[in-house]
Amino acid sequence: MDVLAHVWLGILAVFQGPDAFAVAGLSVSITLVMVAAGFLLGIVVGATPGLGGPTAMAIALPILISVFGFTPDALLPVMGCLIGIMKGATVGGAVPAILFNTPGTPDSYMTTLDGYPMAQRGEAKKALRVAHFASASGDTFSDIVLILCAPFLALLVERHLDLPEKTALLILSLAFVAAVVGRSPGKGLISAGLGLLVVYVGTGEDFYPRLSMGTEALNRGFPIGTAVLGVLVVGAVFHQMAEGFASRSNTSLQPAPKAGNAGRLRWPDIRPLLPTMLRSAVAGTVIGALPGIGSTLAATIGYTTAKARHDRTRAPDAPRFGDGVPQGVAATEAANSAVSGANLIPVLSLGIPGNTAAVFLILAADSIGGFNPGPSVFRVTADAINPELVVAFGLFTCMFVANALNWTVGGLVMRSMGVLAHLPKQRLLPVVLVLTLTAIYVQETRIEAIWFTIAFGILGFGMRLLDMSPLPFVIAFILGAKLEDSARQAFAATGGDAWFLFTSPVAAAFMALSVLVVVLGARRRG
Amino acid sequence: MTTAARTLMGAVAIVLAATATRAAEWTPPGPISMLIGFRAGGGADTQARLIAQELEARHGWTIQPQQVTGKGGLNLAAALKDAPVDGTVIGMVVTETLGYNMAAAGAGLHPDDFTGITTTAGFQMGVVARRVTGWATLEDAIAAAKGGAALRFGVMSPRLADLAYLLGKAQGVTFNIVEMRGGKAVMDGINAGDLDLGFVAGIQAASVAAGDLVNLASALSVPLNQTPEAPTFATLGVDFNADGQFMFVGPAGMSTAARSAMSTAIAEIISDPQTGAGALIASAFGGPSILAGDALQAQMAADYDAAGALLAAASE
Amino acid sequence: MSRAETRTLGVICVIFALGCILVWIPLDTDTGLIETVRRRVEIGDAMAPTLAALFVLVGGAILCIAPGEPARGAGAKRPLLFCAAAMIGVLAAGVVLMLCAGPLALWLADAGRAEPREYRLMRDSFPWKYIGFVLGGTVAISGLIALAERRMTWAALIIGLVGVLGMVALFDLPFDDLLLPPNGDY
Repeated sequence: MDVLAHVWLGILAVFQGPDAFAVAGLSVSITLVMVAAGFLLGIVVGATPGLGGPTAMAIALPILISVFGFTPDALLPVMGCLIGIMKGATVGGAVPAILFNTPGTPDSYMTTLDGYPMAQRGEAKKALRVAHFASASGDTFSDIVLILCAPFLALLVERHLDLPEKTALLILSLAFVAAVVGRSPGKGLISAGLGLLVVYVGTGEDFYPRLSMGTEALNRGFPIGTAVLGVLVVGAVFHQMAEGFASRSNTSLQPAPKAGNAGRLRWPDIRPLLPTMLRSAVAGTVIGALPGIGSTLAATIGYTTAKARHDRTRAPDAPRFGDGVPQGVAATEAANSAVSGANLIPVLSLGIPGNTAAVFLILAADSIGGFNPGPSVFRVTADAINPELVVAFGLFTCMFVANALNWTVGGLVMRSMGVLAHLPKQRLLPVVLVLTLTAIYVQETRIEAIWFTIAFGILGFGMRLLDMSPLPFVIAFILGAKLEDSARQAFAATGGDAWFLFTSPVAAAFMALSVLVVVLGARRRG
Repeated sequence: MTTAARTLMGAVAIVLAATATRAAEWTPPGPISMLIGFRAGGGADTQARLIAQELEARHGWTIQPQQVTGKGGLNLAAALKDAPVDGTVIGMVVTETLGYNMAAAGAGLHPDDFTGITTTAGFQMGVVARRVTGWATLEDAIAAAKGGAALRFGVMSPRLADLAYLLGKAQGVTFNIVEMRGGKAVMDGINAGDLDLGFVAGIQAASVAAGDLVNLASALSVPLNQTPEAPTFATLGVDFNADGQFMFVGPAGMSTAARSAMSTAIAEIISDPQTGAGALIASAFGGPSILAGDALQAQMAADYDAAGALLAAASE
Repeated sequence: MSRAETRTLGVICVIFALGCILVWIPLDTDTGLIETVRRRVEIGDAMAPTLAALFVLVGGAILCIAPGEPARGAGAKRPLLFCAAAMIGVLAAGVVLMLCAGPLALWLADAGRAEPREYRLMRDSFPWKYIGFVLGGTVAISGLIALAERRMTWAALIIGLVGVLGMVALFDLPFDDLLLPPNGDY
């Protein structure tokens, strides 16, 4: 079977999969319905301050798995829905940022800088349209890069990297994440080290469940959901609630500006935005492809480079960034949306998650089974169909379906979401908290899972208090088992060579780079 | 499967026919927890869930499947050991869990702590390599190893690692034994060229049929269905084999009524290729392999005792 | 965080990591850093956790040596800690109630019976299977809202109840196989 046959099967799997319902004799596949549902849900949660893509994905996952079961047929609808949420949330985050100066998601903070001044001037609709246009463009650009790059990167890895090199590559990604995420490589290393330590509890090759302190509660280890959702979602809820509580002020929204002109975007509006958007999309895509640095940094870089350029080139009397310039909105939204496609490059080609959205896709693949993100996905054999490759192309198709939805109805839906910013956080977050715990229990069916999640929530809260990023912890937790397995395998495969990480030039180079990123990170910020 | 087991299977079939009505005579006092010792989504998990669905449909029982994975089934065994004995808690593992793994772990678990309900299916465990190696039988691989190549042998459990070591020893070569997570990972490793050969328990069938992979040997006491000409471990000078089955098990002292009702009900389902479970077992696991009652209990004890010999041989 | 605080964090991490490497990991693993199996040296179960602890050790050492610039958010942390503790207390109370309420209700209902029923066998039957979840969940949600708003209101109670009933509708009604908390533990 050649690659094109797989591409075609992947597209068919999305459009001709099991039917959800039929409209006028045309059946609509369940995968399409789920992508659309996820996309709309994503816009809603993105537009709700205090919620975001990760929370929605966390809660949706167990429900989706219960609906679709543990069969390979479940992969596309479930992961398609998650992809929809991921893309929708990025678009939705701009809504409260522009209308109420309250970012719906962290990466839309920069959108407030020019979006809200535009809204105050009565150009809210125009700002929303610019945000949507930039977001959809950045997203589409990024997806194209993903589809062009992921298979080749995977083939490269598969063909040229042996077990020791794969181990060294995992070490490099982890070192990179620890050194680059957050403000301090010291804290990044601590965060990653704790994630590894925790994932090694109860696992291992020996029959004795290590580090379990002889307890039955720990001998099965910590379920991945408890650690990931505990640190990411529960920790964030604790932190947000505690901050709201401590500040004693009921966070009042900035006054809602007048709706203003209808402001359809025409070519003269769009043309000056294009260079900014392209630069931001490229920056977002590159950042998205690197593990660990997510959309917030992309948005920051997109905005600051556009601002620097604007300051150099603007006419003396033209408005500055921060006064309500459409380029400011476009630069941010194009950059943070361009992350969402490219961050799947390391996931699909190497099995290494780059950010939280990718973490949930790995979680889904892991729970359902039948699809192991990594280089083996892209193998093409002479006679047989590789079902994982079909799924991969199915996922690409889902991304383009979500893009199409974004271009067609996304803007309309997004502009109607302003009302969500009025939901009071202190009433919403407790419900989200109990919902998250319930979703975890439903999957794990033991009360220890809830206690573990609360404990990880406390850890996540503490990390936020100490200005330590929880992302290295989560990525280390996910990669930990893989890292240990591949190190053991490489060691055994080389016949017990203690220097297996340094004997091949490629592995040695990866190891040298690992040390280099940590040292450079420590120097730059030390 | 050994010849003794085959004979037993026939005997069990006769007994089943006689006791077919028993399933109707026993009603579980509440919902049944079915603990599954395999990761969600794999062939073993699917088998367990399909059987659960069919049990619910045929007998109106409520079954709640639940994953308890890790440590070669020992985590499940630990959770099951002290469970209620009224038939409301059962688990699915492999015979290796109650045999080799319990013997090797020395963690205070013994097959006597459990009631065997029934086995369901065996494995088509072969030693597999890529066709492009040019090897047709294990002899070719051994010749390559003797010619100086350091061969990487993929395995997915400590017991299989012992068997790979003994195979090398019997053939006068030393393999670099690499332990992977599951047979799928071994097959991926072989396909990617990370491994030279390895144990795969049935999922190689399509690739062998397509000509990408070859079965070099049968790790069982009998030849493989798909490649009957491949030599068995006994003919290769190894006194042990990888025979084993999936099995349902309950805590020791489980009520006889519950045990026989369940084993009968499960056997009926997996012997019926019209059911989802029966179809899966026929296609992926070489057909049902049913051993129940006292015969199963005796085999569990025998497996545990035999594990000592394998452990001793592999540490020499 | 001030430099002094960062240094303190570094010292704590170093001590913790050394404790792991020298005490916890050696005592709580069976195979050591390396082991000999089938006449081959293999990586033992203590290796990976030891390296993980080394990550923490190096990170802590970096914080001690180069604490960097004082980071933002240097404001008072005590009130945050206090609120978090209160929230976690309320949440934990909700979970404990979730665990106990169902069996307790069944025990009360069967107080006069000759053969009291076991909760384990009733965990899939109405109304027993909902009692713990609904009570515990409502207490957790309403309690947290009340904490945040600093007063108990009817609105908080209603949000809690509606939220929990919504979750029942989401997880329990459509799916036979799913178990609401705490029913998987019985």
